[in-house]
Amino acid sequence: MKPILECQGLTKKYNNFYALSNLNVTLERGQIVGLLGPNGSGKTTLIKLINGLLTPTNGHVMINSMAPGPETKKLVSYLPERSYLNDHMRVEEILSYFSDFYDDFDAGRAGIMLKDLEIDTRSRLRTLSKGTKEKVQLVLVMSRDAELYVLDEPIGGVDPAARDYILRTILTNYNENATILLSTHLITDIENVLDRVLFIQNGQLSLNTTVDEIRTNQGKSVDTLFREVFKC
Amino acid sequence: MLGKLIKYDLKYGVKIFGILHGILLTASILGRFLFVNKIDFNADPEIIFSSVSPFMALYVLLFTSVGLGVAALLCVRFYRNLFTDEGYLSWTLPATSVQQIWAKIISGTIWYVLNILITALSLIILVTGNNVTEAYAKIAPEMTNVLGVSLSRYSLIMLVFSLAGALSSVIMIYVCISIGQLFPGHRILGAILAYFILMVIIQVVVLGLMIIFNLFPGPYAATVVIEAEASHYMFAIFKLSGGITIVLTIVEYFIMHYILNKKLNLI
Repeated sequence: MKPILECQGLTKKYNNFYALSNLNVTLERGQIVGLLGPNGSGKTTLIKLINGLLTPTNGHVMINSMAPGPETKKLVSYLPERSYLNDHMRVEEILSYFSDFYDDFDAGRAGIMLKDLEIDTRSRLRTLSKGTKEKVQLVLVMSRDAELYVLDEPIGGVDPAARDYILRTILTNYNENATILLSTHLITDIENVLDRVLFIQNGQLSLNTTVDEIRTNQGKSVDTLFREVFKC
Repeated sequence: MLGKLIKYDLKYGVKIFGILHGILLTASILGRFLFVNKIDFNADPEIIFSSVSPFMALYVLLFTSVGLGVAALLCVRFYRNLFTDEGYLSWTLPATSVQQIWAKIISGTIWYVLNILITALSLIILVTGNNVTEAYAKIAPEMTNVLGVSLSRYSLIMLVFSLAGALSSVIMIYVCISIGQLFPGHRILGAILAYFILMVIIQVVVLGLMIIFNLFPGPYAATVVIEAEASHYMFAIFKLSGGITIVLTIVEYFIMHYILNKKLNLI
Protein backbone atom coordinates (compact mmCIF):
# COMPACT_ATOMS: atom_id res chain seq x y z
CA MET A 1 0.00 0.00 0.00
CA LYS A 2 1.26 3.49 -0.85
CA PRO A 3 2.30 5.65 2.11
CA ILE A 4 -0.32 8.23 2.95
CA LEU A 5 2.22 11.06 3.21
CA GLU A 6 5.67 11.58 1.73
CA CYS A 7 7.76 14.73 1.96
CA GLN A 8 11.01 14.87 0.05
CA GLY A 9 13.44 17.77 0.38
CA LEU A 10 10.50 19.92 1.40
CA THR A 11 11.59 23.52 1.83
CA LYS A 12 9.60 26.68 2.42
CA LYS A 13 11.35 30.03 2.56
CA TYR A 14 9.78 33.36 3.56
CA ASN A 15 12.09 36.16 2.42
CA ASN A 16 15.38 35.10 4.10
CA PHE A 17 13.81 32.82 6.70
CA TYR A 18 13.55 29.08 6.20
CA ALA A 19 10.29 27.90 7.83
CA LEU A 20 11.04 24.38 6.57
CA SER A 21 14.40 23.19 5.34
CA ASN A 22 14.94 20.01 3.34
CA LEU A 23 12.40 18.00 5.33
CA ASN A 24 12.09 14.29 4.53
CA VAL A 25 9.42 12.17 6.13
CA THR A 26 7.13 9.28 5.19
CA LEU A 27 4.00 8.30 7.11
CA GLU A 28 2.33 4.93 6.79
CA ARG A 29 -1.39 4.35 7.23
CA GLY A 30 -3.26 3.44 10.40
CA GLN A 31 -1.50 5.47 13.06
CA ILE A 32 -1.93 8.59 15.16
CA VAL A 33 1.10 10.81 14.76
CA GLY A 34 1.97 13.75 17.00
CA LEU A 35 3.66 16.64 15.21
CA LEU A 36 5.51 18.31 18.03
CA GLY A 37 7.83 21.26 18.26
CA PRO A 38 8.20 24.69 19.83
CA ASN A 39 6.54 27.81 18.41
CA GLY A 40 7.88 28.77 15.00
CA SER A 41 9.45 25.36 14.40
CA GLY A 42 7.55 24.83 11.12
CA LYS A 43 4.62 22.62 12.18
CA THR A 44 1.88 24.80 10.72
CA THR A 45 3.95 25.45 7.58
CA LEU A 46 4.21 21.68 7.01
CA ILE A 47 0.47 21.28 7.59
CA LYS A 48 -0.35 24.09 5.15
CA LEU A 49 1.93 22.56 2.51
CA ILE A 50 0.15 19.21 2.91
CA ASN A 51 -3.14 21.00 2.30
CA GLY A 52 -1.93 23.00 -0.70
CA LEU A 53 -2.34 26.33 1.10
CA LEU A 54 1.31 27.20 0.54
CA THR A 55 3.52 26.61 -2.47
CA PRO A 56 6.84 24.88 -1.60
CA THR A 57 10.04 26.75 -2.39
CA ASN A 58 11.74 23.42 -3.10
CA GLY A 59 11.02 19.71 -2.83
CA HIS A 60 7.60 18.16 -2.84
CA VAL A 61 4.86 16.74 -0.69
CA MET A 62 2.76 13.78 -1.85
CA ILE A 63 -0.47 12.44 -0.40
CA ASN A 64 -1.20 8.88 -1.53
CA SER A 65 1.48 9.51 -4.20
CA MET A 66 -0.29 12.60 -5.52
CA ALA A 67 0.71 16.26 -5.25
CA PRO A 68 -1.82 18.42 -3.34
CA GLY A 69 -4.84 19.04 -5.56
CA PRO A 70 -8.56 18.24 -5.80
CA GLU A 71 -7.90 14.49 -5.60
CA THR A 72 -5.84 14.72 -2.41
CA LYS A 73 -8.34 17.13 -0.87
CA LYS A 74 -10.93 14.38 -1.14
CA LEU A 75 -8.65 12.24 1.07
CA VAL A 76 -7.50 14.81 3.61
CA SER A 77 -9.68 16.22 6.37
CA TYR A 78 -8.04 19.36 7.70
CA LEU A 79 -8.63 21.26 10.90
CA PRO A 80 -6.72 24.57 10.88
CA GLU A 81 -5.61 26.37 14.03
CA ARG A 82 -8.09 29.17 13.29
CA SER A 83 -11.78 29.58 12.61
CA TYR A 84 -12.26 29.05 8.88
CA LEU A 85 -16.04 29.08 8.72
CA ASN A 86 -18.17 32.01 7.59
CA ASP A 87 -19.47 33.55 10.83
CA HIS A 88 -22.80 34.49 9.26
CA MET A 89 -23.73 30.88 8.53
CA ARG A 90 -25.87 28.72 10.79
CA VAL A 91 -24.42 25.41 12.00
CA GLU A 92 -27.05 23.53 9.93
CA GLU A 93 -26.02 25.50 6.82
CA ILE A 94 -22.41 24.50 7.41
CA LEU A 95 -23.48 20.86 7.66
CA SER A 96 -25.19 21.21 4.26
CA TYR A 97 -22.06 22.91 2.91
CA PHE A 98 -19.86 19.99 3.98
CA SER A 99 -22.41 17.47 2.64
CA ASP A 100 -22.40 19.31 -0.70
CA PHE A 101 -18.65 19.39 -1.11
CA TYR A 102 -17.37 16.24 0.59
CA ASP A 103 -18.71 12.88 -0.58
CA ASP A 104 -17.27 11.24 2.55
CA PHE A 105 -19.06 13.58 4.98
CA ASP A 106 -21.43 11.78 7.35
CA ALA A 107 -24.08 14.35 8.34
CA GLY A 108 -25.74 11.86 10.70
CA ARG A 109 -22.54 11.35 12.66
CA ALA A 110 -22.00 15.13 12.85
CA GLY A 111 -25.57 15.61 14.08
CA ILE A 112 -25.08 13.10 16.91
CA MET A 113 -21.82 14.71 18.02
CA LEU A 114 -23.34 18.21 17.95
CA LYS A 115 -26.25 16.92 20.04
CA ASP A 116 -23.81 15.35 22.55
CA LEU A 117 -22.08 18.70 22.83
CA GLU A 118 -25.46 20.48 23.20
CA ILE A 119 -24.78 22.73 20.21
CA ASP A 120 -27.96 24.07 18.61
CA THR A 121 -27.70 23.56 14.85
CA ARG A 122 -29.90 26.63 14.24
CA SER A 123 -27.33 28.91 15.91
CA ARG A 124 -25.31 31.27 13.80
CA LEU A 125 -21.58 30.80 14.29
CA ARG A 126 -21.03 34.41 15.31
CA THR A 127 -23.25 33.83 18.36
CA LEU A 128 -21.11 30.92 19.58
CA SER A 129 -18.11 31.18 21.90
CA LYS A 130 -14.60 30.60 20.55
CA GLY A 131 -14.44 27.17 22.21
CA THR A 132 -17.83 26.13 20.81
CA LYS A 133 -16.79 27.20 17.31
CA GLU A 134 -13.69 25.03 17.66
CA LYS A 135 -15.87 22.11 18.69
CA VAL A 136 -18.12 22.64 15.63
CA GLN A 137 -15.06 22.64 13.37
CA LEU A 138 -13.68 19.49 14.95
CA VAL A 139 -17.05 17.75 14.61
CA LEU A 140 -17.15 18.68 10.90
CA VAL A 141 -13.61 17.47 10.29
CA MET A 142 -14.04 14.20 12.22
CA SER A 143 -17.36 13.46 10.51
CA ARG A 144 -15.56 12.77 7.27
CA ASP A 145 -14.35 9.29 6.38
CA ALA A 146 -10.97 10.61 5.32
CA GLU A 147 -7.72 8.74 4.80
CA LEU A 148 -5.60 11.44 6.42
CA TYR A 149 -6.77 13.77 9.18
CA VAL A 150 -4.55 16.79 9.69
CA LEU A 151 -5.41 18.52 12.93
CA ASP A 152 -3.58 21.71 13.82
CA GLU A 153 -3.94 22.45 17.55
CA PRO A 154 -7.33 20.74 17.90
CA ILE A 155 -7.51 21.11 21.68
CA GLY A 156 -5.71 24.41 22.18
CA GLY A 157 -8.72 26.61 22.85
CA VAL A 158 -11.10 24.39 24.78
CA ASP A 159 -11.54 23.54 28.45
CA PRO A 160 -10.10 20.27 29.88
CA ALA A 161 -13.51 18.55 30.02
CA ALA A 162 -14.13 19.31 26.34
CA ARG A 163 -10.58 18.14 25.58
CA ASP A 164 -11.48 14.66 26.86
CA TYR A 165 -14.58 14.62 24.65
CA ILE A 166 -12.59 15.81 21.65
CA LEU A 167 -9.91 13.16 22.13
CA ARG A 168 -12.59 10.50 22.50
CA THR A 169 -14.22 11.92 19.37
CA ILE A 170 -10.97 11.65 17.46
CA LEU A 171 -10.33 8.11 18.64
CA THR A 172 -13.82 6.81 17.98
CA ASN A 173 -14.41 8.50 14.66
CA TYR A 174 -11.60 7.44 12.45
CA ASN A 175 -11.14 4.44 10.32
CA GLU A 176 -8.32 2.21 11.52
CA ASN A 177 -6.61 2.44 8.14
CA ALA A 178 -6.66 6.20 8.33
CA THR A 179 -3.81 8.28 9.69
CA ILE A 180 -4.11 11.24 12.01
CA LEU A 181 -1.40 13.88 12.03
CA LEU A 182 -1.96 16.03 15.06
CA SER A 183 -0.04 19.14 16.09
CA THR A 184 -0.24 20.39 19.66
CA HIS A 185 1.65 21.87 22.59
CA LEU A 186 -0.52 20.01 25.10
CA ILE A 187 1.53 16.82 24.96
CA THR A 188 0.41 15.31 28.27
CA ASP A 189 -3.21 15.45 27.14
CA ILE A 190 -2.59 13.52 23.95
CA GLU A 191 0.40 11.38 24.80
CA ASN A 192 -1.66 8.29 25.53
CA VAL A 193 -3.38 8.30 22.16
CA LEU A 194 -0.25 8.74 20.03
CA ASP A 195 1.46 5.91 18.15
CA ARG A 196 4.33 7.96 16.74
CA VAL A 197 5.88 11.39 17.25
CA LEU A 198 7.67 13.72 14.89
CA PHE A 199 9.82 16.37 16.59
CA ILE A 200 10.40 19.35 14.40
CA GLN A 201 12.95 22.04 15.16
CA ASN A 202 14.04 25.04 13.07
CA GLY A 203 12.20 23.64 10.07
CA GLN A 204 13.93 20.27 10.23
CA LEU A 205 12.90 16.89 11.51
CA SER A 206 14.86 16.10 14.68
CA LEU A 207 13.07 12.89 15.71
CA ASN A 208 10.75 10.40 14.05
CA THR A 209 9.99 7.47 16.31
CA THR A 210 7.21 5.49 17.94
CA VAL A 211 5.94 6.35 21.40
CA ASP A 212 6.72 2.78 22.52
CA GLU A 213 10.39 3.22 21.54
CA ILE A 214 10.63 6.40 23.60
CA ARG A 215 9.09 4.68 26.59
CA THR A 216 11.03 1.40 26.39
CA ASN A 217 14.42 2.52 25.07
CA GLN A 218 14.67 5.85 26.83
CA GLY A 219 12.35 5.18 29.76
CA LYS A 220 10.73 8.57 29.41
CA SER A 221 7.36 10.00 28.58
CA VAL A 222 7.00 11.99 25.35
CA ASP A 223 6.39 15.11 27.44
CA THR A 224 9.64 14.64 29.38
CA LEU A 225 11.63 13.99 26.22
CA PHE A 226 10.08 17.06 24.56
CA ARG A 227 11.08 19.25 27.53
CA GLU A 228 14.66 17.92 27.37
CA VAL A 229 15.06 18.26 23.61
CA PHE A 230 13.52 21.72 23.39
CA LYS A 231 14.87 23.10 26.64
CA CYS A 232 15.20 26.91 26.41
CA MET B 1 -18.35 21.24 -8.29
CA LEU B 2 -18.42 24.53 -10.22
CA GLY B 3 -22.20 24.73 -9.84
CA LYS B 4 -21.94 24.20 -6.07
CA LEU B 5 -19.28 26.89 -5.73
CA ILE B 6 -21.41 29.34 -7.73
CA LYS B 7 -24.46 28.47 -5.61
CA TYR B 8 -22.64 29.39 -2.39
CA ASP B 9 -21.12 32.55 -3.90
CA LEU B 10 -24.56 33.75 -4.99
CA LYS B 11 -26.10 32.77 -1.67
CA TYR B 12 -23.49 34.85 0.15
CA GLY B 13 -24.43 38.10 -1.60
CA VAL B 14 -28.16 37.69 -2.08
CA LYS B 15 -29.21 39.59 1.04
CA ILE B 16 -26.93 42.61 0.53
CA PHE B 17 -27.74 42.72 -3.19
CA GLY B 18 -31.46 42.50 -2.48
CA ILE B 19 -31.35 45.33 0.05
CA LEU B 20 -29.30 47.62 -2.24
CA HIS B 21 -31.53 47.08 -5.24
CA GLY B 22 -34.71 47.13 -3.17
CA ILE B 23 -33.70 50.64 -2.06
CA LEU B 24 -32.89 51.60 -5.67
CA LEU B 25 -36.20 50.38 -7.09
CA THR B 26 -38.23 51.87 -4.24
CA ALA B 27 -36.46 55.22 -4.62
CA SER B 28 -37.10 55.16 -8.39
CA ILE B 29 -40.82 54.39 -7.96
CA LEU B 30 -41.17 57.09 -5.29
CA GLY B 31 -39.16 59.56 -7.42
CA ARG B 32 -41.38 58.88 -10.42
CA PHE B 33 -44.71 59.29 -8.65
CA LEU B 34 -43.80 61.93 -6.07
CA PHE B 35 -41.52 64.11 -8.19
CA VAL B 36 -41.05 63.40 -11.90
CA ASN B 37 -44.77 62.99 -12.66
CA LYS B 38 -45.41 66.40 -11.10
CA ILE B 39 -42.91 68.32 -13.25
CA ASP B 40 -44.61 70.76 -15.60
CA PHE B 41 -42.39 70.94 -18.68
CA ASN B 42 -44.33 73.94 -19.97
CA ALA B 43 -43.10 76.03 -17.03
CA ASP B 44 -40.19 78.46 -17.12
CA PRO B 45 -37.03 76.40 -17.98
CA GLU B 46 -35.15 78.05 -15.11
CA ILE B 47 -37.76 76.89 -12.61
CA ILE B 48 -37.66 73.35 -14.05
CA PHE B 49 -33.88 73.34 -13.98
CA SER B 50 -33.65 74.54 -10.37
CA SER B 51 -35.96 71.78 -9.14
CA VAL B 52 -34.68 68.98 -11.39
CA SER B 53 -30.94 69.56 -10.75
CA PRO B 54 -30.87 68.56 -7.05
CA PHE B 55 -33.18 65.62 -7.84
CA MET B 56 -30.84 64.42 -10.60
CA ALA B 57 -27.78 64.90 -8.39
CA LEU B 58 -29.43 62.84 -5.66
CA TYR B 59 -30.30 60.01 -8.05
CA VAL B 60 -26.87 60.02 -9.72
CA LEU B 61 -25.43 59.65 -6.22
CA LEU B 62 -27.85 56.82 -5.48
CA PHE B 63 -27.11 54.93 -8.71
CA THR B 64 -23.35 55.38 -8.20
CA SER B 65 -23.56 54.22 -4.57
CA VAL B 66 -25.45 51.06 -5.52
CA GLY B 67 -22.90 50.36 -8.30
CA LEU B 68 -20.05 50.83 -5.82
CA GLY B 69 -21.91 48.65 -3.33
CA VAL B 70 -22.01 45.80 -5.87
CA ALA B 71 -18.30 46.28 -6.64
CA ALA B 72 -17.59 46.21 -2.88
CA LEU B 73 -19.66 43.03 -2.52
CA LEU B 74 -17.53 41.35 -5.22
CA CYS B 75 -14.27 42.58 -3.65
CA VAL B 76 -15.21 41.42 -0.14
CA ARG B 77 -16.45 38.00 -1.27
CA PHE B 78 -13.39 37.32 -3.43
CA TYR B 79 -10.89 38.58 -0.84
CA ARG B 80 -12.49 37.03 2.26
CA ASN B 81 -13.38 33.73 0.64
CA LEU B 82 -9.97 33.12 -0.93
CA PHE B 83 -7.34 35.05 1.01
CA THR B 84 -8.42 35.36 4.65
CA ASP B 85 -9.24 32.64 7.21
CA GLU B 86 -12.18 31.48 5.05
CA GLY B 87 -9.60 30.63 2.38
CA TYR B 88 -8.45 27.74 4.59
CA LEU B 89 -11.78 26.08 3.84
CA SER B 90 -12.21 27.30 0.24
CA TRP B 91 -8.79 26.06 -0.84
CA THR B 92 -9.19 22.68 0.89
CA LEU B 93 -12.42 21.88 -0.94
CA PRO B 94 -11.93 19.25 -3.65
CA ALA B 95 -12.10 21.86 -6.40
CA THR B 96 -9.43 23.00 -8.86
CA SER B 97 -8.17 26.57 -8.82
CA VAL B 98 -9.76 27.03 -12.25
CA GLN B 99 -13.15 26.05 -10.78
CA GLN B 100 -12.62 28.46 -7.89
CA ILE B 101 -11.72 31.27 -10.32
CA TRP B 102 -14.66 30.63 -12.66
CA ALA B 103 -17.12 30.32 -9.79
CA LYS B 104 -16.11 33.80 -8.68
CA ILE B 105 -16.13 35.16 -12.25
CA ILE B 106 -19.56 33.71 -13.10
CA SER B 107 -21.20 34.70 -9.82
CA GLY B 108 -19.60 38.16 -9.98
CA THR B 109 -20.75 38.65 -13.58
CA ILE B 110 -24.28 37.57 -12.62
CA TRP B 111 -24.34 40.23 -9.87
CA TYR B 112 -22.86 42.83 -12.21
CA VAL B 113 -25.30 42.10 -15.05
CA LEU B 114 -28.27 42.09 -12.67
CA ASN B 115 -27.09 45.43 -11.28
CA ILE B 116 -26.93 46.92 -14.79
CA LEU B 117 -30.39 45.56 -15.68
CA ILE B 118 -31.99 46.80 -12.45
CA THR B 119 -30.28 50.18 -12.85
CA ALA B 120 -31.69 50.37 -16.41
CA LEU B 121 -35.12 49.38 -15.12
CA SER B 122 -34.93 52.07 -12.43
CA LEU B 123 -34.04 54.66 -15.08
CA ILE B 124 -36.97 53.52 -17.22
CA ILE B 125 -39.29 53.80 -14.21
CA LEU B 126 -38.03 57.34 -13.58
CA VAL B 127 -38.34 58.74 -17.12
CA THR B 128 -41.31 57.03 -18.74
CA GLY B 129 -44.08 59.21 -17.30
CA ASN B 130 -46.45 60.82 -19.85
CA ASN B 131 -45.24 64.34 -19.07
CA VAL B 132 -41.58 63.32 -19.77
CA THR B 133 -42.32 61.38 -22.97
CA GLU B 134 -44.56 64.19 -24.31
CA ALA B 135 -41.92 66.80 -23.52
CA TYR B 136 -39.22 64.65 -25.11
CA ALA B 137 -41.33 64.13 -28.26
CA LYS B 138 -40.90 67.84 -28.98
CA ILE B 139 -37.10 67.59 -29.11
CA ALA B 140 -36.86 63.98 -30.34
CA PRO B 141 -36.03 64.82 -34.00
CA GLU B 142 -33.25 67.13 -32.88
CA MET B 143 -31.81 64.51 -30.50
CA THR B 144 -32.05 61.78 -33.16
CA ASN B 145 -30.18 64.06 -35.51
CA VAL B 146 -27.37 64.62 -33.01
CA LEU B 147 -27.15 61.01 -31.89
CA GLY B 148 -27.54 59.50 -35.34
CA VAL B 149 -30.09 57.01 -33.98
CA SER B 150 -33.20 57.35 -31.86
CA LEU B 151 -32.67 57.82 -28.12
CA SER B 152 -34.26 54.44 -27.33
CA ARG B 153 -31.95 52.68 -29.78
CA TYR B 154 -28.98 54.62 -28.47
CA SER B 155 -29.90 53.64 -24.89
CA LEU B 156 -30.23 50.01 -25.92
CA ILE B 157 -26.78 50.07 -27.52
CA MET B 158 -25.33 51.66 -24.37
CA LEU B 159 -27.00 48.93 -22.30
CA VAL B 160 -25.55 46.18 -24.51
CA PHE B 161 -22.06 47.73 -24.24
CA SER B 162 -22.41 47.96 -20.45
CA LEU B 163 -23.49 44.32 -20.26
CA ALA B 164 -20.63 43.26 -22.52
CA GLY B 165 -18.22 45.09 -20.21
CA ALA B 166 -19.48 43.30 -17.08
CA LEU B 167 -17.14 40.31 -17.42
CA SER B 168 -14.06 42.50 -17.90
CA SER B 169 -15.01 44.71 -14.94
CA VAL B 170 -15.35 41.66 -12.70
CA ILE B 171 -12.03 40.15 -13.84
CA MET B 172 -10.29 43.50 -13.32
CA ILE B 173 -11.47 43.63 -9.70
CA TYR B 174 -10.30 40.07 -9.11
CA VAL B 175 -6.89 40.44 -10.75
CA CYS B 176 -6.13 43.51 -8.61
CA ILE B 177 -7.00 41.62 -5.42
CA SER B 178 -4.94 38.63 -6.61
CA ILE B 179 -1.92 40.87 -7.30
CA GLY B 180 -2.40 42.40 -3.83
CA GLN B 181 -2.00 38.96 -2.25
CA LEU B 182 1.58 38.83 -3.55
CA PHE B 183 2.36 41.40 -0.82
CA PRO B 184 1.50 39.40 2.33
CA GLY B 185 1.98 42.29 4.76
CA HIS B 186 -0.03 44.80 2.70
CA ARG B 187 -2.57 42.84 0.70
CA ILE B 188 -5.28 45.50 0.53
CA LEU B 189 -2.82 48.32 -0.19
CA GLY B 190 -1.23 46.11 -2.87
CA ALA B 191 -4.65 45.54 -4.47
CA ILE B 192 -5.46 49.27 -4.50
CA LEU B 193 -2.04 50.10 -5.97
CA ALA B 194 -2.49 47.36 -8.58
CA TYR B 195 -5.83 48.94 -9.54
CA PHE B 196 -4.33 52.41 -10.00
CA ILE B 197 -1.31 51.12 -11.90
CA LEU B 198 -3.58 49.05 -14.17
CA MET B 199 -5.83 52.08 -14.75
CA VAL B 200 -2.82 54.25 -15.68
CA ILE B 201 -1.58 51.58 -18.12
CA ILE B 202 -5.06 51.31 -19.70
CA GLN B 203 -5.38 55.10 -20.02
CA VAL B 204 -1.96 55.42 -21.64
CA VAL B 205 -2.72 52.58 -24.10
CA VAL B 206 -6.17 54.02 -24.94
CA LEU B 207 -4.73 57.49 -25.40
CA GLY B 208 -1.95 56.19 -27.64
CA LEU B 209 -4.38 54.21 -29.80
CA MET B 210 -6.83 57.14 -29.98
CA ILE B 211 -4.04 59.30 -31.35
CA ILE B 212 -3.00 56.56 -33.80
CA PHE B 213 -6.60 56.08 -35.03
CA ASN B 214 -7.30 59.84 -35.12
CA LEU B 215 -9.95 59.60 -32.43
CA PHE B 216 -8.28 61.89 -29.92
CA PRO B 217 -10.60 64.83 -29.07
CA GLY B 218 -9.28 67.93 -30.82
CA PRO B 219 -9.93 69.94 -33.95
CA TYR B 220 -10.22 66.77 -36.03
CA ALA B 221 -12.54 64.97 -33.64
CA ALA B 222 -14.68 68.11 -33.36
CA THR B 223 -15.09 68.01 -37.15
CA VAL B 224 -16.02 64.33 -36.88
CA VAL B 225 -18.68 65.13 -34.30
CA ILE B 226 -20.23 67.88 -36.41
CA GLU B 227 -20.05 66.11 -39.72
CA ALA B 228 -20.68 62.51 -38.84
CA GLU B 229 -22.80 62.81 -35.69
CA ALA B 230 -21.88 62.05 -32.11
CA SER B 231 -22.96 58.43 -32.29
CA HIS B 232 -20.43 57.56 -35.00
CA TYR B 233 -17.64 59.02 -32.91
CA MET B 234 -18.95 57.20 -29.84
CA PHE B 235 -19.18 53.90 -31.71
CA ALA B 236 -15.63 54.30 -33.01
CA ILE B 237 -14.50 54.84 -29.41
CA PHE B 238 -16.55 51.84 -28.26
CA LYS B 239 -14.99 49.61 -30.91
CA LEU B 240 -11.50 50.70 -29.91
CA SER B 241 -12.10 50.35 -26.17
CA GLY B 242 -13.92 47.05 -26.79
CA GLY B 243 -10.87 45.64 -28.59
CA ILE B 244 -8.53 46.86 -25.85
CA THR B 245 -10.83 45.48 -23.15
CA ILE B 246 -10.94 42.00 -24.72
CA VAL B 247 -7.14 41.80 -24.96
CA LEU B 248 -6.70 43.22 -21.47
CA THR B 249 -9.30 40.90 -19.92
CA ILE B 250 -7.58 37.84 -21.38
CA VAL B 251 -4.20 39.01 -20.04
CA GLU B 252 -5.75 39.76 -16.62
CA TYR B 253 -7.38 36.32 -16.50
CA PHE B 254 -4.06 34.56 -17.10
CA ILE B 255 -2.29 36.72 -14.50
CA MET B 256 -4.98 35.80 -11.95
CA HIS B 257 -4.80 32.13 -12.96
CA TYR B 258 -1.01 32.11 -12.54
CA ILE B 259 -1.12 33.80 -9.13
CA LEU B 260 -3.83 31.54 -7.71
CA ASN B 261 -2.22 28.42 -9.16
CA LYS B 262 1.45 29.03 -8.48
CA LYS B 263 1.71 31.78 -5.90
CA LEU B 264 -1.04 31.01 -3.42
CA ASN B 265 0.32 31.52 0.08
CA LEU B 266 -2.15 31.73 2.93
CA ILE B 267 -0.15 32.99 5.88
